[in-house]
Amino acid sequence: MSNVLRPYLAAVRSTLTAALTLENFPSQVGGCSSSPSVNSIRVSIKIKQADEIERILCHKFTRFLMQRAESFIVLRRKPIKGYDISFLITNTHTESMLKHKIVDFIIQFMEDVDREISEMKLSLNARARTVAESYLTAVSLGIGYRVVTRLKCILWSYSAFAPA
Amino acid sequence: MILLEPHNYIIQTTLVDKFSKPTTLDVQFVDFDGVRFHLSTLDRKTVLLLSMHIRCWDELVRYGAQDVLRREYGSLVQSQPESDYNISLLIDLEKAPPEGEQRDAFIHSIALMKRNALAAPFELAFKKQKELENSSSGQGDIMAIHYRDEEAIYIQAAHDRVTVIFSTIFREETDRIFGKVFLQEFVDARRLPQIQNAPQVLFTNRDPPLEIRHVPGLRDSEDIGYVTFVLFPPHFSNPHVAAGTVSHIQLFRNYLHYHIKCSKAYMQSRMRHRVSEFQKVLNRAKTEVASTERKTVTGRTLQTR
Repeated sequence: MSNVLRPYLAAVRSTLTAALTLENFPSQVGGCSSSPSVNSIRVSIKIKQADEIERILCHKFTRFLMQRAESFIVLRRKPIKGYDISFLITNTHTESMLKHKIVDFIIQFMEDVDREISEMKLSLNARARTVAESYLTAVSLGIGYRVVTRLKCILWSYSAFAPA
Repeated sequence: MILLEPHNYIIQTTLVDKFSKPTTLDVQFVDFDGVRFHLSTLDRKTVLLLSMHIRCWDELVRYGAQDVLRREYGSLVQSQPESDYNISLLIDLEKAPPEGEQRDAFIHSIALMKRNALAAPFELAFKKQKELENSSSGQGDIMAIHYRDEEAIYIQAAHDRVTVIFSTIFREETDRIFGKVFLQEFVDARRLPQIQNAPQVLFTNRDPPLEIRHVPGLRDSEDIGYVTFVLFPPHFSNPHVAAGTVSHIQLFRNYLHYHIKCSKAYMQSRMRHRVSEFQKVLNRAKTEVASTERKTVTGRTLQTR
């Protein structure tokens, strides 16, 4: 967890814990809104999307999750307007599950989702770079595929037998 | 496998197989860009007929595909191709070169049939550039090869270069954005010292490059992109280098889309993993352990009494 995020997540955690006692007042924290009523609490999250790639990755990821909503019990199939993903914790959930563990889950989710998206973005860029470089290297050398594959085999066998 | 190979794997393996053990066969298979092949034996087990259908055959013939194929395959080329196909090669296994390096080369050259057909306009452009070089000005005609339903390659020779332009469609929003990331890397990669002499790559989204702006029938929508390769004489003056350049350039579109798909598959498997991790965290919140139904080998439910 990054240090910047730590106090924010601590605040969310205490707010959620307080809200899960099902007191009847709404609260608003930064990009994450949670509004408890008498018997349920809704947590909606807006995920950081700095550019087009992050936007599409975030969309793919949340959609992937929401398609599996039934196995996540507290997750909703559709987010509240203006947010990317919504959780709804009802009184039946709090009766059948441990409250602090539900809070753990939400916090873990918030922690991981940002990291996952930025890692996916990094891996996309890394792949794109490798792909472009291998192609242009092959074209600039003007070598046929046979030489390239042979070269790869040599490199591979070298790395396989080289001392670690 | 990062780079795509220009030869057809099925032709290669089937021929190797049939050389060692001739049997009757009749197979149809495909290659990139909707190219269809038909490989069959005629009256004897040792005589194979390989036919190819390629979407842009008429255009390729106009740019000299017949000559290139005749040069590569000589008397193997049939004057009358099989019906429904554009070109047929008759391969007599008994008259083929002897086993060893020669035969491998023979099989490999046959497996390169699609590549050789598509190489014709490139070779023509390289030749044209040679002619124009002395006049030190002027441009050749734009050769358009509509090798897929909505996508085309445009090739134009000038006195000092050959320009190759690919138009490509990104069907999905994700493809378009991923494609942009990849193509940006193609543009940026040339800054590396070891590939500074690679062809220059330019990329535009939606707006066609100046060279082909006057070509009729260009699509005007957000999902189309144009990639331009500028080839200079060092990329094609030596015949060996030119052959490598042609093999790689004509597979560019497939290479790009192949890696876009790979990235998407990778993201999918990553998300699957992450979601199962989330599931584990949430399961810890459940107070009672979910009892799973246990089955015996025969499918009956196991009951504990």
